[in-house]
Amino acid sequence: MRRCYEQVTVGEALEPLVKGPLTSAHLMRWSAAMENWHKIHYDREFAVEHDKLPDLLVNGTLKQQFVMQLLRQWAGNDGWVWKVSFQFRAMNVVDETLRVWGRVTGRREAGGFGLVDLELGIVNGGDKESTPGAAVIALPYETGGPVPYPFVPPPGA
Amino acid sequence: MSLLTSEVEKLIGAESGVEVACDAVERGAVRCYVQAYMDEDPIFHSEETARGLRWGASVAPPLFPMNMFRRPFGTPDPFAERAADPDFDGIVGSTAPGLPPLPLPKGIGLLNAGTEVEVFRYARHGESVTAKSRYHSITEKLSSKGPMLLVVIETEYRSGGGDLLLRVRKTQIRR
Repeated sequence: MRRCYEQVTVGEALEPLVKGPLTSAHLMRWSAAMENWHKIHYDREFAVEHDKLPDLLVNGTLKQQFVMQLLRQWAGNDGWVWKVSFQFRAMNVVDETLRVWGRVTGRREAGGFGLVDLELGIVNGGDKESTPGAAVIALPYETGGPVPYPFVPPPGA
Repeated sequence: MSLLTSEVEKLIGAESGVEVACDAVERGAVRCYVQAYMDEDPIFHSEETARGLRWGASVAPPLFPMNMFRRPFGTPDPFAERAADPDFDGIVGSTAPGLPPLPLPKGIGLLNAGTEVEVFRYARHGESVTAKSRYHSITEKLSSKGPMLLVVIETEYRSGGGDLLLRVRKTQIRR
């Protein structure tokens, strides 16, 4: 789907992306794909007894991928996810189901394309926010071509 | 006891060289990666799809270059070195390619506090990737569990041809 700047309204919510429940197998698979051997993601005894954590932790890097996936899907292949920031404010632990959300907070024209500001985050089944963040996405105009690739930020943006 | 010792402070502003990922972007590594975060967009594996779009060839996910800096062939096995250490947390090497590890007391853990990313282009299958990092800032805070360091590391990832792929600023908590 081609999403254009003119179609976007401030306050609009993105269709959430749901991931989980994230079992220890999911966490191990991600750790292995990353070759990240930090034990807090797969060794429960080490996580709880040694590091005094509540349980195995969902990797922050995995949550980053979920956010990028949501944003890329929303932007479409003619748009571009330019800036993303995440804060890991709270832990997510094994067996949680995560809902990745986003909402448009602003929009502005930037020369040959439009820029859309978003707030975003990840909540668990108890609606607790763990990963607040923000993003800037470039979208094409209805009458224009795709956002230039490789992406060149507009001056002063 | 302060964690912000003079040895740690000396590393503020320290830069890595231009580090080269030990493997180019491999189709199999991309497969494992996208399957692990459950995103099977055809641009990551279908040449036909990717050629029909702006990417021109199969690409890796946007953040993939951040995870390409692995232990190369012919280097010592860090697990063997620390197998008898009950405090070994599994973290091996530096947390940013080419940067010296912070000289911290044994048992100091690491948590990711946040990340800011700017994305400029996707890495293509078969492309090599480089990274250059620096310790942007290291500050100390007192938490309920004692002193902790906030470590901000900036890294630029480029293609082997020099194209800027990603600019990343990571904040880590060490306590």
